Amino acid sequence: MRILIVDDDTVVAGGVARILESEGFAVDTVARGEQAILAAAQERFDLVILDIGLPGMDGFEVLRRLRTEAQRVPVLLLTARDAVDDRVHGLDLGADDYVAKPFAMSELAARVRALIRRSQAQAGPKVVHGPLMLDTVARRAFLTGEPLELAGREWAVLEVLLAKVERVVSKEAIIQAVANWGEELSLNAIEVYVSRLRAKLEPAGIRIRTVRGFGYMLQEYKEH
Amino acid sequence: MTAQSLRGQLLRQLLPPIAALLALATVIAYYPTIEPATAAYDQALIDLGLALGDRIEIDHGKYALDLPHAAERMLRTDRYDSIYFHVAAPDGTHIAGDEGMPPPPPDETPADHVIAYNGVYAGKDVRVMAVMVPCNGRRCMVQVAETTYKRQRLLRYIVLSSLVPTVLIALATLMIVWFGVKRGLEPLDQLSEEIKARSPRDLRPVDAAVAPEEAKPLVGALNALLEEVAEANLNQQRFLANAAHQLRTPLAGLQAHTELALAQPVPEACRAELEQVHLASVRTARLANQLLALARAEPGGGLAAGLGPVELRQVVEGAADEWVHRAMAKDLDLGFDLSEARVRGDAFLLREALANLVHNSLEHTPAGGHVTVRTGVHGGDRRPLLEVEDEGPGIPPAERERVLERFYRVPGTTGTGSGLGLAIVREIATVHGARVEIGDPRAGGRGCRVSLIFPPAAEQ
Repeated sequence: MRILIVDDDTVVAGGVARILESEGFAVDTVARGEQAILAAAQERFDLVILDIGLPGMDGFEVLRRLRTEAQRVPVLLLTARDAVDDRVHGLDLGADDYVAKPFAMSELAARVRALIRRSQAQAGPKVVHGPLMLDTVARRAFLTGEPLELAGREWAVLEVLLAKVERVVSKEAIIQAVANWGEELSLNAIEVYVSRLRAKLEPAGIRIRTVRGFGYMLQEYKEH
Repeated sequence: MTAQSLRGQLLRQLLPPIAALLALATVIAYYPTIEPATAAYDQALIDLGLALGDRIEIDHGKYALDLPHAAERMLRTDRYDSIYFHVAAPDGTHIAGDEGMPPPPPDETPADHVIAYNGVYAGKDVRVMAVMVPCNGRRCMVQVAETTYKRQRLLRYIVLSSLVPTVLIALATLMIVWFGVKRGLEPLDQLSEEIKARSPRDLRPVDAAVAPEEAKPLVGALNALLEEVAEANLNQQRFLANAAHQLRTPLAGLQAHTELALAQPVPEACRAELEQVHLASVRTARLANQLLALARAEPGGGLAAGLGPVELRQVVEGAADEWVHRAMAKDLDLGFDLSEARVRGDAFLLREALANLVHNSLEHTPAGGHVTVRTGVHGGDRRPLLEVEDEGPGIPPAERERVLERFYRVPGTTGTGSGLGLAIVREIATVHGARVEIGDPRAGGRGCRVSLIFPPAAEQ
């Protein structure tokens, strides 16, 4: 897994690089937007961590150029600026996520992992989450290597949660996403399917947290 | 120089010339009128004198007046005045009538055989006509006098009849000035109403079209000032953005590297120090964010664009992720109770207010406790509401006002707070016309509830 960090602040860039390296990523660091464009054109990265406040060509411009060159590399924006519009503007330009400086390293690392996982899920038919593996083409699931029986709606709900690991997904969003798969669910029905999923997944250490009054969150899988 | 009312000043300046014109108009009207009017009365007296002169009879050098009693009574009859007469022989001896008449002024020569003069008779002002009538080849003098009641009445009448219209005209002039100034200044009143009704953040130029021509320079100057203030705001805004960047970047570095250091195997004594450094960097970062938020919430903090429609529920949903992780890390149950609540506001500031409330609640609630974020409408007038409720130690009623002050911390509290969080919440509430209410949790029991209650939708 290769990550490109674009940040002119060597202290921050160095810190981020080291923490990501310690997680097993290969990290390249550049300080200027022009260098980032060049690097992205020559090499293939799995993620770009892009600071908005760059000297010369700013992060927005770098992002715009990356996207016009039809690069689908996931981009995580970093900003120290205050304007709320930056976030919206960045996401409009095609950024995949956004983290405000200063940030906790654990949070940044979690976002990086989630983004890479998401782009891999889009790239191939197999979604892996710890001991769980979903083959989205064959519509077959495996848990610690054993076939796992999932009813159609359970499958749909699980897929929505898997697409947003460590993110709170509102019940409304689940209904919306499931409806896109041709299934219809009521708010109450979701609780039923989530509890069935829990019964099947929790013995293997996969946890779905309830966020009271809001929705659910599939926690990152941790080895125990 | 003290400021004076424009109206008062105008009236003060107008009054003396108007009064002078009034007096002048009266005098001008008086003289041409009084002459012919009194001349008529004089003529009547002269006629009377001539008639009396006709009645003088001379018998052997002796003069007598042939005036029957009835005729004399008629002669003396006048509705208003007393009439006196005296007939004297050419040598001045008394022939008939009232004796003791004031004599004509000695240096006066008769015009057309008549001397007209004023005098006093029987203690009364009288007008006297001395008529020289032919009398046996010489001239007898017939004096006819009458009191001046009629004449004074006429005088009064003339003065009054010329005075009344001029006074009316003067009054009308003053009234026109009074109301004219008021009407003329109405656009200025409108202008000041418009400016008064503005929020301190509204720095758009004033519409010069509503101002009267004379006030245009004032409006122009005001607009120039507004423009300068807006420019200054913009500069402050840029400064804040830069300050944010400059502060946060090194803090991000500091935080990153202390975290990295803590991830290494370090000696126990060193670890405790490092943890302190890390904690301090996290707190400093938070403090920097709070100060910037506070600066932004103040007038001139860059909200010139004004407030727009914001759905509080979306503000909460958009930020929920971040807090959920922190709550889980502390083993807290962070829950939501969200229904629609639309306000006019600034999404960034509302998010900041909410972040401070949630931060406080997560900070003060012991592990295993509940924190609830709620949006919805409140009360009969359906005021939009944003509140956070926790199961922490709560805030004693006596402290609830003071905790909203900057840097104030409830005595005896430990922890890492700066005492700015609730001050920011209040500042942001003020921007939105909302009030901050600190109370007990809605379900009762231990804890604290902080609510932002916004003006009803109709008033926004």
